Amino acid sequence: MTTTQTVNWQTQGSPSEHLTVGRNVFTPGPDLTTQEFKQATKENVSNVTFVEYEVLLPGASSTSVEKNITLDSAARIELTCRLDNKYSHLKNLQVTWKRGNETIGHSSKTGNSWSIQLKILDNSNLGSYSCTLKGEEEISAMFHLQVPKIEGKEKPIVSYEGDTAVMVCKSFGHTPIAWTWYRTNGSEQVAINDSLLADKYVINSVSANVTHLKILKLTREDDGVYWCEAAFELGKSKGSLKLKVLSFMVPLKPFLAIVAEVVILVTIVFLYEMYSKKKEKRAEGERECDQVEQLKSEESNGLENSSARHRKI
Amino acid sequence: PPANAGPAPDGGWGWVVVFGAFISIGFAYAFPKGIAIFFKEIQDFFGTSYGEIAWVSSIMLATTYGAGPISSILVNRYGSRPVVIFGGLLCGIGMVSASFCTSILQLYICVGFITGFGLALNLQPSVIIIGKYFLKRRPIANGLAMAGSPVMLCTLAPLNQFLFDNFGWRGSFLILGAILLNCCVAGALFRPIGAPTASVKTQATEEGKDALKEEVTKDAVEMGSPTSVPMETKMEEEGGEDCCEKINQYLDFSLFKHRGFLIYLIGNVLMFLGFFAPIVFLAPYAKHIGIDEYSAAFLLSILAIVDMIARPTTGIIANSKWVRPRIQYFFSFAIAFNGTCHLLCPLASGYTGLVVYSVFFGLAFGMVCAMLFETLMDLVGAVRFTSAVGLVTIAECCTILLGPPIGGTLIDTFGDYKYMFIKCGAVMVLAGTFLFIMNYYNYRMLAKEEKERKAKEEDPKSVRTENEGKNNWNKETAQDGPELEPLRAEQEGLKKEMNGT
Repeated sequence: MTTTQTVNWQTQGSPSEHLTVGRNVFTPGPDLTTQEFKQATKENVSNVTFVEYEVLLPGASSTSVEKNITLDSAARIELTCRLDNKYSHLKNLQVTWKRGNETIGHSSKTGNSWSIQLKILDNSNLGSYSCTLKGEEEISAMFHLQVPKIEGKEKPIVSYEGDTAVMVCKSFGHTPIAWTWYRTNGSEQVAINDSLLADKYVINSVSANVTHLKILKLTREDDGVYWCEAAFELGKSKGSLKLKVLSFMVPLKPFLAIVAEVVILVTIVFLYEMYSKKKEKRAEGERECDQVEQLKSEESNGLENSSARHRKI
Repeated sequence: PPANAGPAPDGGWGWVVVFGAFISIGFAYAFPKGIAIFFKEIQDFFGTSYGEIAWVSSIMLATTYGAGPISSILVNRYGSRPVVIFGGLLCGIGMVSASFCTSILQLYICVGFITGFGLALNLQPSVIIIGKYFLKRRPIANGLAMAGSPVMLCTLAPLNQFLFDNFGWRGSFLILGAILLNCCVAGALFRPIGAPTASVKTQATEEGKDALKEEVTKDAVEMGSPTSVPMETKMEEEGGEDCCEKINQYLDFSLFKHRGFLIYLIGNVLMFLGFFAPIVFLAPYAKHIGIDEYSAAFLLSILAIVDMIARPTTGIIANSKWVRPRIQYFFSFAIAFNGTCHLLCPLASGYTGLVVYSVFFGLAFGMVCAMLFETLMDLVGAVRFTSAVGLVTIAECCTILLGPPIGGTLIDTFGDYKYMFIKCGAVMVLAGTFLFIMNYYNYRMLAKEEKERKAKEEDPKSVRTENEGKNNWNKETAQDGPELEPLRAEQEGLKKEMNGT
């Protein structure tokens, strides 16, 4: 079975038997740092997924190419480093595959790509793998094999004393086997046991990808950083959330300030109105005195004038 | 000229009222959209689905529009000022109690019903009082006041985010309750003017009730008008002799016989089917064609900024002497323009195309909103506007609520946003064309009626004029709105406003 061979291949010798002939895909010169990412999944008899990852090596520029690969369960993967067409004139190139600083194999071929097959069974197989091309200059690319990242929340969740807080952790794409919650006590992380403190903590999962931690009857001591940890077949991953517990006085102060402002403004408006009405009345009073005198001299039009006066008021 | 029974001031304290209306209308339109920021957190907190949370917004919107007639009745009875102050208090109470809620149902009641009702009591009276303070410059005043909506939205969105980051959703609701109390300040600025019950009451306090009644009755007898004046004071106290007239005093159902009102009602109800859906789906559509979240949100900001500028500008344009007499045509054009934008949107490709669409959409949206109430005032007159606006908003309530869900169903069924845009565009172009044609017909009928009336112009007519000046206050004896306007506005030489082309 080929699987056993790949696992032990570092002890066997040259890995040239595992090289696959690369496909000739040419990208134009300026586009040196683009990465081609092709993914093909095949299930073989051992029921483990087989995934291929490919990287296009850049030219002589010193910027190295890196690729992050997320794995949540055991898999066989093939990493390929392909060289751009413009370097195809270079012959007898040597490629070294390293994990960290440890060399795991050499390969050489006249084609354009070099591959290595890896079997990832547990956490110790994860890490950073690099392919280094030794020619006139050294060109290298890195593959980072990691467990899926969990996103917590960057902004703190604000809640109040006596209230309830709900914290949510999500895993995108990959389904974890189990979730664990931790709270930070000083500098160490203490696991939260919801069966032990059932009236304080409630952990439930709405779906396999999402977990909720409900903290009841909040107090000041519940303030701090919380961690949600997702366990995958290949390892564990953590996300952090911050909880802030405030006393009710905190929002009450701006509330009272604004209410006071409203009351003051309304009072000012009404006072101004009363003041301007008094001014108007005084001015009208003077006008009326003049008009009464006029009226006495204009009896004939008395009817319309008096009705106009009434309407004016 | 006297402030009560004479023409509208068109300035002075009126601009302060516009500022108050700006705040009031701004809160009424922007607040339901602004609290959407809290929904994600509340959804997690109560463990509900997004659909259940979205109901809060829908209930709030439905109550704000559906409570329109109640608002109108209260304004008819008490005047704008007490209603707005009471509305502000209700909003504040609603949000403060919402901050103590322990279930989603309580949120529906506190945020949805109570705050929604408070906002309804803010919206209608603000629009009504502009009609009382302005006549010549009314379109500008309307445009400026309606600009409150985008300005408040642009202010509320970052403010809500800030409050949420610092105080969580409960603290934010508490503080928002206090902020909504500022509507009371806006209401305090709404000094009563020409309102019937208000002026009658102030006169009563000044001169003594009985004395006033006698004098007014005496005037009526001297003027030769039979029983209308003493009847009107009696009606206001005893509640009227006829059931229909009593209801009409609070809410003028005779508007349904008014040609202009019916045209406006049908056109607007049709228009609202396609009015709000594009805004709701603009950001999701942008994300659908591959634009990132922040750029998609920026599209809405562009829309709001263009909207902000478009509304007062439209007010100024609508006030110019070329447009004012034909303002109904301008309104129909704005609606059709809006519809055309939507029809062309599916042709927009990429971000630049969507930016162009947002700019034109913001422009069209602002134009329509600025003239929304102005055209109604123009058709029915300031006196009957109080009841008209209530009846219109409750009719619009249904289509406003139906619009986005129908759009959503179209998107889900066809998997493509373009059908929603086509539907909205088609509905609005149809509404615009309908309004254009019907208003052309209306203008011609009005011109004909005006000519017939002028032909009968004689002495009994001038006596009737003085009576109608007094009967201004009583809507039961009021003639059709447009006919009142020329009589009152004759002194200002605005006859041509009603004659149209």
